[in-house]
Amino acid sequence: MRFVTPPPVRRLPLAGEQPATVVEPGAPGGAVATSGRRLQASPMAVERMTVDRMSIAYGAKVAVDEVSLPIRQGEVLALIGPSGCGKTTLLRSLNRLTELTKTASMKGRILLDGTDTATLEPTALRRRVTMVFQQPNPFPMSVFDNVAYVLREQASRRPRKRALQGAVQSALERAGLWEEVKGNLAHPALRLSGGQQQRLCIARALAADPEVLLLDEPCSALDPISTQVIEELIVQLREQVAVVIVTHNLQQAFRIADYVAFMYLGELVEYGPAEQVFGAPRADRTKEYVSGGFG
Amino acid sequence: MLGALVCAVLLFVLTIVVFVFKEAWPSFQHNGWAWFSSGGNVDRQIQEIFTAAADLRRPVYTFHAWPIIWGTFLITTGAVALSFVAALFVSVFIVEFAPEWIRTILEPVVRLLASVPSVIFGLVGVLVLVPFIGEHVISDDNRRSVSYIVSLSGYSLLAGVLILTLMIAPLMIAVFSDGLRSVPRGWLEGSLGLGINRWRTFWKIGVRTARPALVAGTVLATARALGEAVMLAMVTGGVAFAPNPADGVIFFVEPTRPLAATILQASEELTAPAMRHTIFAIAAVLLFSALMLSLTGWVVKQPMKKYGVRA
Repeated sequence: MRFVTPPPVRRLPLAGEQPATVVEPGAPGGAVATSGRRLQASPMAVERMTVDRMSIAYGAKVAVDEVSLPIRQGEVLALIGPSGCGKTTLLRSLNRLTELTKTASMKGRILLDGTDTATLEPTALRRRVTMVFQQPNPFPMSVFDNVAYVLREQASRRPRKRALQGAVQSALERAGLWEEVKGNLAHPALRLSGGQQQRLCIARALAADPEVLLLDEPCSALDPISTQVIEELIVQLREQVAVVIVTHNLQQAFRIADYVAFMYLGELVEYGPAEQVFGAPRADRTKEYVSGGFG
Repeated sequence: MLGALVCAVLLFVLTIVVFVFKEAWPSFQHNGWAWFSSGGNVDRQIQEIFTAAADLRRPVYTFHAWPIIWGTFLITTGAVALSFVAALFVSVFIVEFAPEWIRTILEPVVRLLASVPSVIFGLVGVLVLVPFIGEHVISDDNRRSVSYIVSLSGYSLLAGVLILTLMIAPLMIAVFSDGLRSVPRGWLEGSLGLGINRWRTFWKIGVRTARPALVAGTVLATARALGEAVMLAMVTGGVAFAPNPADGVIFFVEPTRPLAATILQASEELTAPAMRHTIFAIAAVLLFSALMLSLTGWVVKQPMKKYGVRA
């Protein structure tokens, strides 16, 4: 299969149909109005993170080699590449989760709104850049407590349940789960379906109003219908937060990404608008990969 | 085949329980609920039961066990409470925070400690802790103030609680840390990925998820504490005295003797029927407490299962 012309995949309704909601005080070009898929970097998109010549190694093994990337709000950035190419490592380094691996060492800088993330407290950084994992991992609590967990932990005094209600509801609404769970917020989260669990994890990640949302193959453990629901959700979310998604599913990257970064053996081979990377890749390796040549 | 074996074991356990309660019945029958009340000196009552047994026509059964029940309660709760707190922190440290080399040393040490025979703990208590308490903790004023009731020598509630804590804490640590280790990595990472620090994450997700293991470990350790006889007979003073909280600080250094140690001390006098029934009555109380303990553990675990925490 070659992506000379875009493959016949279902395109999702893009966020242009909805009113844009980004209002970033102090950021240039406050409200962003979008229509359809952008083909180039929109001057209106707000750059939130910059990856600057980032290298990550586990012991002697280099997992990510001198990668530089911008991450913008209003766009979905997909990291693609064969297994073991470093895309998940790069994603985890964005909120310094790589530091949990003892052997990991890092070089280079990652800026969040102009501040080097290395100078931030890891906890402060991870509140602004939250992560959704490959396996849905809701906590063994009720649906409500799962979403309220972050809010409770961030508050200096334990807030009352009533005070959290609004924030929990809005997080669940943004994750598209509210209609399904509103009747019974005390339902054990682990008894939800896989897709609902993953959306709960997204709601949990959104509850603290992060600036960047990282998704590590969020649909790989889900069925096609749940995947579709989550993809639609991600496309809507890009207006509110900068979204970075790791996926090994090219169709998925094509459906939801505005920008695509193709990584191979730790190197960033190609970065560009989705249409260009899939339709007219510049590098040979990208061409081979997107046409199913390897990986 | 396996079913038959299981049935045989169950039958055996049932036989023991029935036998103990049957042997215990005359003692309960003669005393009624007063068996559990206070009144008189337990040691003297035991003596009378034994001596009167020579005259088989008029056996004495009068027995008021409150001091030794109270002693058992104090020693067990004291030791379980202390070791629970200690074991929780130690196991959290071992599982989550300790550097690799400390972990590789600590874990075998804990497992070794859990298997040390209680006589050795008793010996350490008698040789080290009891003299220390006798010489440095108890003042002469203390001794004088209660001299007309009980003599303070260092053999005490405090010694019993401390040594028992040392004995059961490794057991708790072993069970707790297994429980904490089996908390799915994804839940902890999920919390860390939301910017909750390591300590809070481990406390709110790790320990919370491992609650059934905490209950199981506590039940196991409490059962061992309840049944501990040799070590406690060695260090708590061997007097069936009920420590009185009204005595202030002296309360902790007063001697006592729990139920199991009483059985141990009276076991030579089993030949007299009345004595045998009395001792079996003590055994029945212990057995019943152990049963209740398991039941309580089970009941406490039930609400934890609601949200899918594994038991």
